[in-house]
Amino acid sequence: MHDSTHAAALPAGWGGGVSPFGATWQKTMMWIFIVTDGLLFSGLLSGYAFLRMSSLYPWPERSHVFSIPFIALMTFILITSSATMGTAVGAAKLGDRKTALRFLILTIAGGAAFLGCQAYEWTHLIEHGARLTSNPWGAPQFGQAFFILTGFHGSHVLSGLVVLTITAIRTAMGKTQAQGVEMAGLYWHFVDLVWVFIFTLFYLV
Amino acid sequence: MAEAAKAHGPYRIYWITWGILLVITVAMLAAEKFHLPRIFLVLFLLVFMLVKATMIGGNFMHLRYEQRNLAVIVAVGLLVTSVILFSFITPESLSVRARRSEPVAAPAAPAHHP
Repeated sequence: MHDSTHAAALPAGWGGGVSPFGATWQKTMMWIFIVTDGLLFSGLLSGYAFLRMSSLYPWPERSHVFSIPFIALMTFILITSSATMGTAVGAAKLGDRKTALRFLILTIAGGAAFLGCQAYEWTHLIEHGARLTSNPWGAPQFGQAFFILTGFHGSHVLSGLVVLTITAIRTAMGKTQAQGVEMAGLYWHFVDLVWVFIFTLFYLV
Repeated sequence: MAEAAKAHGPYRIYWITWGILLVITVAMLAAEKFHLPRIFLVLFLLVFMLVKATMIGGNFMHLRYEQRNLAVIVAVGLLVTSVILFSFITPESLSVRARRSEPVAAPAAPAHHP
């Protein structure tokens, strides 16, 4: 069958060809990466659900283990860094390099602050006896779930900071186009999105 | 999209989204104070978690401005996979717990050799 006949038989946007999603290949690839990375976190959260529901021992009471105001502060920092990132992307699209750079730097500061808070939280819990296989508060599997979930998320924040720093340097040098900032932004918002799930399912439920 | 953004203040959407996300987060943190039955509390938290995720995906990641097929593939792919994983894991984890909580037979006494 001729290509154009085939495309005509499909609804607009589903016909394949050069740009089936109406997006550049870079953006399409970034979305494919985000979906696969999202599936990784979906598996990790399912593993956490399994550990928690199959545990014979009571799951630790969150108020005994965490400082919820501190976790709320971490959430506030990450949400704010997403807003600054969005502003940087918007500014880059409008060709306002100065504003884009300023908000990229603010986003990096937010990410670094979040990572600092996470390092403090890990240190605090380890000092109080949290280990991968044991802890003083309840089900021994709690440590595995906590360190693996927050560790994977923290490693994403760290790699996001590397990407943002490179993007900021290249923006300052006038080498990054708006699309480069947008790609970095997609990744950063994904990191924020994953935290929404970890925050709710691990810290609140 | 850039034209629409210029017309309505270029960055307004990001800061409105930020404000709504903060309000929802505070509501989620305060929910426990109302001593709701656990099932309602969990449902409340899950619904607001999905609202926050939708807002981040739609407004920050611009999915609402992309072609619908991209948004559908991303959202449905992740959601359906997660639902399948959880729906298989829940009964399995409960049955593992039930098996582990059954009384274990006492180990046979070691044989005494003269």
